[in-house]
Amino acid sequence: MKYRHLIWMRRISQAIFLVLFLVLLVMAQLPRDVVMDYSQSFSNSSAQSPDIRITQPITLFFQMDPLVWLSSVISARQWIAGFGWAIGILVAALFFGRFFCGFICPFGTLHHMAASIRPALKKKEMIDANRTSTSRRIKYFLLITILFAAAVGTNFAGLLDPISFLFRSLSLSVIPAIGVGLHDLFEFLAASDVKLLNYLAYGGEALAAPVFGYENKVVLTGWVIGGLFLIILFLNRIKPRFWCRTLCPLGALFGLCSRLMVLQLEKDSDKCTHCGRCTAACQGAATPEPGQVWQTDECLMCLNCTSQCPEDALDFRFKRPYIKERRFDVGRRALMGGMVAGVSFPLLGRLDGSADKSPSPTLIRPPGSLPESEFLDRCQRCGLCMKVCPTNVIQPSLTAAGMAGFWTPTLVMTLGYCEYSCTLCTSVCPTGAIAELSMKEKTGTPIRIGSAYIDRGRCLPWNGNAPCIVCEEHCPTSPKAIYFKKDVIRRPDGQTLPVQLPFVDLARCVGCGICENKCPVKGKPAIRTLSAGESRSLENQILL
Amino acid sequence: MNKLITRRESLKKIGKITAGITVSAGLFGPFSSILAHATTPETQPLKGWIVDGIGQQPGYSIKALTRKVFDAAGGMGKFISKGDVVVLKPNISWAQAPNLAVTTHPEVMEAVIELCQESGAKKVRIADNTIHDAGRCFAVTGAAGVAERTGADLVFPRSSMMKKMNLHGHRLDVWPVFTPFVEADKIINMPVAKVHGLSVLTLGMKNWIGGVGGRRSALHQDIHQSIVDLAQFFKPQLTLIDATRILTANGPSGGNISDVKVTNRLILSNDPVAADTLAAAQLFGKTPEDVPFIQLGNKWGLGSSDLDRLTRYSVSI
Repeated sequence: MKYRHLIWMRRISQAIFLVLFLVLLVMAQLPRDVVMDYSQSFSNSSAQSPDIRITQPITLFFQMDPLVWLSSVISARQWIAGFGWAIGILVAALFFGRFFCGFICPFGTLHHMAASIRPALKKKEMIDANRTSTSRRIKYFLLITILFAAAVGTNFAGLLDPISFLFRSLSLSVIPAIGVGLHDLFEFLAASDVKLLNYLAYGGEALAAPVFGYENKVVLTGWVIGGLFLIILFLNRIKPRFWCRTLCPLGALFGLCSRLMVLQLEKDSDKCTHCGRCTAACQGAATPEPGQVWQTDECLMCLNCTSQCPEDALDFRFKRPYIKERRFDVGRRALMGGMVAGVSFPLLGRLDGSADKSPSPTLIRPPGSLPESEFLDRCQRCGLCMKVCPTNVIQPSLTAAGMAGFWTPTLVMTLGYCEYSCTLCTSVCPTGAIAELSMKEKTGTPIRIGSAYIDRGRCLPWNGNAPCIVCEEHCPTSPKAIYFKKDVIRRPDGQTLPVQLPFVDLARCVGCGICENKCPVKGKPAIRTLSAGESRSLENQILL
Repeated sequence: MNKLITRRESLKKIGKITAGITVSAGLFGPFSSILAHATTPETQPLKGWIVDGIGQQPGYSIKALTRKVFDAAGGMGKFISKGDVVVLKPNISWAQAPNLAVTTHPEVMEAVIELCQESGAKKVRIADNTIHDAGRCFAVTGAAGVAERTGADLVFPRSSMMKKMNLHGHRLDVWPVFTPFVEADKIINMPVAKVHGLSVLTLGMKNWIGGVGGRRSALHQDIHQSIVDLAQFFKPQLTLIDATRILTANGPSGGNISDVKVTNRLILSNDPVAADTLAAAQLFGKTPEDVPFIQLGNKWGLGSSDLDRLTRYSVSI
């Protein structure tokens, strides 16, 4: 019972890191209170407004994550800067095992809470559920799959990495979904004739806006992201910390590192009465009970067992590592299966040729993205770029990027557009799949993400239905990439209709998609954006 | 629930409450000018007035010029009463630095807000349903800085603040309107002068496209009548056209300093048509015939494009 104070230290640590994670997640957006000094734009006409950046360290948790680092470095075959914390934690894991899981990981904390607050299992059931089971090998299978896939050249890490999983789930499903509910409520109140309710709505909106924004956010496949999140949380009712024990590849990586662990669980079989309290409280199903072998690689360092033991039969002690006695039961099947799956996924995923032979026309990557093949090496699908985009245009792709690019970012111009002078998403990518651009680089080079084309059958002036210049009006390049030819349409009733027929000047178009976004022709806009012409590709071009 | 109220009705309500107070001059000014227009022969002088402010000295203060222009019109106190909620409608629709002449100059905004506050306005709000992301527009155009320095409210446009109302226009009927304008006691329209691919120019009346939500892009199919319908609905007490610098090409989005012409002018009027007429003529050399929405505004009695019938003031600094 002597570890009570350490349990509280663990809880405080878990709480701090969970709160920090949530705060940084909320901060990952266009800062709401930027006040820019415009005066210098007048004194120096060549000076462009400075780029808006997020000053908080919103990539901290990704950069603390050894799996993200390892997988990205292996697949990029390049050193990626900024992952000092991750390396430090990986080294520390050699000595302290899965302390990250027990003390730091916000996803782990969430599972800990879901499993411990009003647990679904009674004591006997809990002891059974907490016995070491072979299903724990699945996580090694997943880890090996991820690392081998990275070696072949596709960075899947973020699909299952706990930090990325949690970030994506919260920012692309939980928060937007709650936002939809709140906005419904506010709009209902705002539509009321009672003034007080109107003010309540406006006040509520202003309070909710820093987290939920002022408008509904759209996330394609958001229901899949959210559904998976709920299912994985629910699994804690069947087996506490199901994710951490069975699925988490980061946990598996730490488990492998725990070989050299210097902290040992000392068991005193003489004192033990086999009451089972240690097993009932064990978060990792690591067999703390005396008389059986303690599983170092499963222990989440939660310290519950020592604090629960009424006989003081358990104690953590610093000791020289005794590697020989520790059997690493990764499992041959997990190892072989992981290798086969890891090699297969990227190779099968690239069979569609979208990475090289026939670039996907609907796959428009954020500005600054690396060439597709290198992009897939680095992008681990955390969703940070999608979270920070102020126009909501960056979406997790379902099919646009092929199987190898599932949930990687793609721009859907009917939902938003790439704002000409905005470079926010380029500044947040933790693995450098999107290289940082300044506004000057983006608009001066210019960086093209695609190009627009006009569907003359749907375009109002071209099909003779009405004058319209909306695409040209919004075109942000100067001179504009849309120009006109004047014409006169003879309507069926004999009246004449002077129109301006729009043309796209491909040499000027940057593919920002604001024309498609603002086009009054709904359903399928009369001007659309495709990836052809994107700066990052040598092949995916139209003009000489 | 979704009872449609018109701007006219809400004006009437406000009118009843504040009847007999000095506001009548400012509030019903536009109405009476319309009535006058309808009943007086075309050669009679109107109650409208227009101030043409010019900054001549190099390095003149835009804020000082703004104050001078209002002084020439009799001072802001003539239009704003104690306790008024004043809503300013600048053009801050594009996330572009203010030197590029696509948005209203922040110093003009700041000066007008200060004048309103000095005249006893209870609240000054800045409202525009922006085209680019509102957060970026506020930051980049300088509006956020103005709001921070002056304490004015910068209203974030959002769907809950778009109320479906009947505009009773010739072309437009039910349309979502940005509510701050409906709830305002006084409205000051503060556009920037730019060229535009379809409406020829964007001046005061065109600025009201930023007062509504919904399918705004569709308005371009009958742009001139739509502009006049909107201007008729919103009826600002004052129109202040920021022509300290104007955009002469690639409007309305701009982005290139070589398209910007420094003109050092501010035009203030209680007549929206006259303000646009003077700006079109002096800044772009265009007559009302060249700019159909000015002609239409004159035709529908929104104001007068015959500047000789207005009282004209000219100030310089």
